[in-house]
Amino acid sequence: MVGKEKNKIISHKQLQDVAGKGLLSLQPPEKIRIAVGYATCGIAAGADAVYQAFEDFIRKEQLTDEIILTKTGCFGFCKQEPFVNVVYPGKPLVIYYNVAPEEVKKIIEATFQKDVFLEKALCKIEHWNHHTAELDYGKGFEQVPIWNELPYYSHQQKVVMRNAGITNPNSIEEYIAVGGYKSLFKVLKNNLSPDDVIDIITDSGLRGRGGAGFPTGIKWRNTRKENSETKYIICNADEGDPGAYMNRNEMESDPHMIIEGMIVGAYAVGASSGYIYIRAEYPLAINRLQRAIEQAREYGLLGNNILGTDFSFDIKITCGAGAFVCGEETALIASLEGEAGRPRVRPPYPSVSGLWQNPTNINNVETWCNVPVIIEKGAEWFKTLGSQNNAGTKVFSLVGNVNKVGLVEVELGTHIETIVCEIGACGIDDNKIKAVQTGGPSGGCIPAHLFDTPVDYDNMKKVGSIMGSGGIVVLDETSCMVDTAKYFLNFSVDESCGKCVPCREGLKHMHEILDRITKGKGKSEDIDLLKVMSDTIKKTSLCGLGQTAPNPVITTLQYFENEYIQHIEEKVCEAKVCRELTSFYIVADKCTGCTLCAKHCPVDAISGQAKYIHVIDQETCISCSSCFNVCPFDAIVKLSGESIDTPENPIPVVKK
Amino acid sequence: MIMNKKVEIKIDDTAYLVNEGENILSFCKTVGIDIPALCYNEALKPYGACRLCVVEVKKGGNVRPGITASCTLKASEGLEIITQTEEIHQHRKILFQLYLAQAPDSQVIHKLAEKYGVNETPFPPKRKENDNLGNECVLCGQCVRVCNEIIEKGVIHYIGRGYYVSINTAYNMPSDICMGCKACAEVCPTGAIQFEDIGDTRHGHSWSETKIPLKQCSICGAYYAPQPFDEKILGKMNPEIEKKLTEMCPVCRRKYMSKKQTAIKENRFSILNLK
Repeated sequence: MVGKEKNKIISHKQLQDVAGKGLLSLQPPEKIRIAVGYATCGIAAGADAVYQAFEDFIRKEQLTDEIILTKTGCFGFCKQEPFVNVVYPGKPLVIYYNVAPEEVKKIIEATFQKDVFLEKALCKIEHWNHHTAELDYGKGFEQVPIWNELPYYSHQQKVVMRNAGITNPNSIEEYIAVGGYKSLFKVLKNNLSPDDVIDIITDSGLRGRGGAGFPTGIKWRNTRKENSETKYIICNADEGDPGAYMNRNEMESDPHMIIEGMIVGAYAVGASSGYIYIRAEYPLAINRLQRAIEQAREYGLLGNNILGTDFSFDIKITCGAGAFVCGEETALIASLEGEAGRPRVRPPYPSVSGLWQNPTNINNVETWCNVPVIIEKGAEWFKTLGSQNNAGTKVFSLVGNVNKVGLVEVELGTHIETIVCEIGACGIDDNKIKAVQTGGPSGGCIPAHLFDTPVDYDNMKKVGSIMGSGGIVVLDETSCMVDTAKYFLNFSVDESCGKCVPCREGLKHMHEILDRITKGKGKSEDIDLLKVMSDTIKKTSLCGLGQTAPNPVITTLQYFENEYIQHIEEKVCEAKVCRELTSFYIVADKCTGCTLCAKHCPVDAISGQAKYIHVIDQETCISCSSCFNVCPFDAIVKLSGESIDTPENPIPVVKK
Repeated sequence: MIMNKKVEIKIDDTAYLVNEGENILSFCKTVGIDIPALCYNEALKPYGACRLCVVEVKKGGNVRPGITASCTLKASEGLEIITQTEEIHQHRKILFQLYLAQAPDSQVIHKLAEKYGVNETPFPPKRKENDNLGNECVLCGQCVRVCNEIIEKGVIHYIGRGYYVSINTAYNMPSDICMGCKACAEVCPTGAIQFEDIGDTRHGHSWSETKIPLKQCSICGAYYAPQPFDEKILGKMNPEIEKKLTEMCPVCRRKYMSKKQTAIKENRFSILNLK
């Protein structure tokens, strides 16, 4: 312990000394720095093998004196993982994409020749604005585009993700080197009072990034106002919307940003302990946060007498047990207390009576992420980003039927079209995009003709959806809207806590109605029933989960009612997604009698032998698509509401 | 905090002066406004689960205007609510339809729904085989709350999540902490919870066949009270009562006491006579 005491940062000089250490590893003066993107997405794409290949190569070739091999978070372009970034002293940072282990040698060789392995070079960074600091890498490599010249990045504004993919999330020194903990220093050492801090956050117009968009400054002030010796702050990291993983990336790529934000927040509201409530399904994020907390403690940034002042604060991590509803603040608090995660009625709001009945301030991960940079750059600067009443940026996870999937950080007020068509480069296989689903199971579907809607809290609400925590699922003409609504409703049925009747019973019955519609058994009165049920569930449910769960149904009914009617009246699923409404036929003059389809049919519905035109028995077929997927001659068609003439029994193929 | 601060509220356009923080559902009942409710019980903390008691907040206090449950609504200055509107009736209708499907065998629910004009449901009944609560439970949670909040035993709790929530003992095993007080059965609005006294044992049929020994009267031999419950109550008696009394059933105890009273009176008379 005595040894660690020495590390504690008290003076500005000590902070700068640590920053100097970090800079040495970020931009080693006489060494090459190779960093493998090592967030969950990168690992899933094979970053582990790539890192291993670098490690083996460096050891084998005895390059340990020349190369520093390290890990970073994620640079946000999931489709192109694994990412590797390489810094040669005085040269631009080069980002390689889709790196395979066998390309490691070529990357290293090129780097040693002060060159670039062009085949896999995505872009370069000559100058990087961390907002809390700026780093120059150098000029050169004219053949490689600058990162924000790429259409994927050109509309983006990296504020929350300012360090992601550049710094090593396991190094507090690197975080400090790019201006980390400067805001904390400013707050505690420049004698900003808690009220000053709250004023800055209020002025900045920062709104809760978890989805509800409540002004953060007001929330903080409400907790500050309460007269209580014990207060808590909580970081809500129970991210659970299907297809949304912004918070995971923020925690994995830059954990210190969250911790710094929380320390500043704790000082502002007067809390001496904080919790990060994180879903257990995020082991890497938990690991990195835990390590970051320990590092912060070692430097005296957490614990007693932070930065040598009277202010003391510490953070504990608590894991959720897999309930979506625990992202709701009152259920989250119940879960933290050891109770089952069931919401309770507000008021009293947590700011008055929260964790163990003490005033508690809860903010989402991304909200905390914004705090340090606002303190450092000021409220006015923050307001220059985003739109009216919607200051700042927002990270979205752009997924679904879109060409470029990944984490996208844009200013609030950016149009859906820009995100989907310019950043995401439109639909896969030139399929027409039909809608986007935003805000997860609480959100709604926004049709393509409304893609000029600016993405912010207020405008998304106007079109019937919500911004939510930032999931954007792109749906194209191969998506059935009834099926989409059913999918999200099924999620809500599974995740309902079961406390209040509209959500517990109502959603289940709504799901059953949708299920029968997708199976061609819908009744004409079902649409009206869905509408009145949605209304009752929305208005009478106890918590936000139930109050918003019908949104996917309401919006698909609002914008795509024709699809419901088609399913019910014509028994047609235009997107050919609903199995019971889809049939498969073998086109006689395309079939070559190769027997592949028959071999793959799991229910032996296909009859025929070699050189015979195969025939699908419609009675036995379960529309599983296996034949459709394996046929090398495109001889199988998928139809809904129509049929084609096929031979009744297999007949010999006529040679042309 | 100042207690009993009066605030003016309006319910259905009538003004009332009530204590600040007073429960709106409870107050409505005292002034004869009819609002159905299944999960509300004045002895328990407001829970807000059955949603039948919804009213419409027009404006006021710290509450957002709109439909909200009146059991979790507290009186604050300027609060204005409406208890009967077309919309409320519509919501209640759907909620009753959901209850009719959820507890298809509950006569109480059928009658209550009927009272509010709902006789049938478009939803398929959720009838479970061998349901420990006879398909009569509406998951209002009164039993769970009375056992945890008041009796402080926590014998029963919710099991599972969402549509599949049920109420029972831990691991669906007979409980060894249940005192057999039957408070749960007492508060159950649908009468779903079944207990039965057979010989020297109280059987909690609904709670995984939990068995609680009954205490036998030392005089007449009748089994009269669950042993653990009796012990808990006797343990709280201060000053302690005569040991003999603790071993008698209520009937024998009454007889014994009246005999004793007579004896005292006679004794008193005899003293008087002596004088």
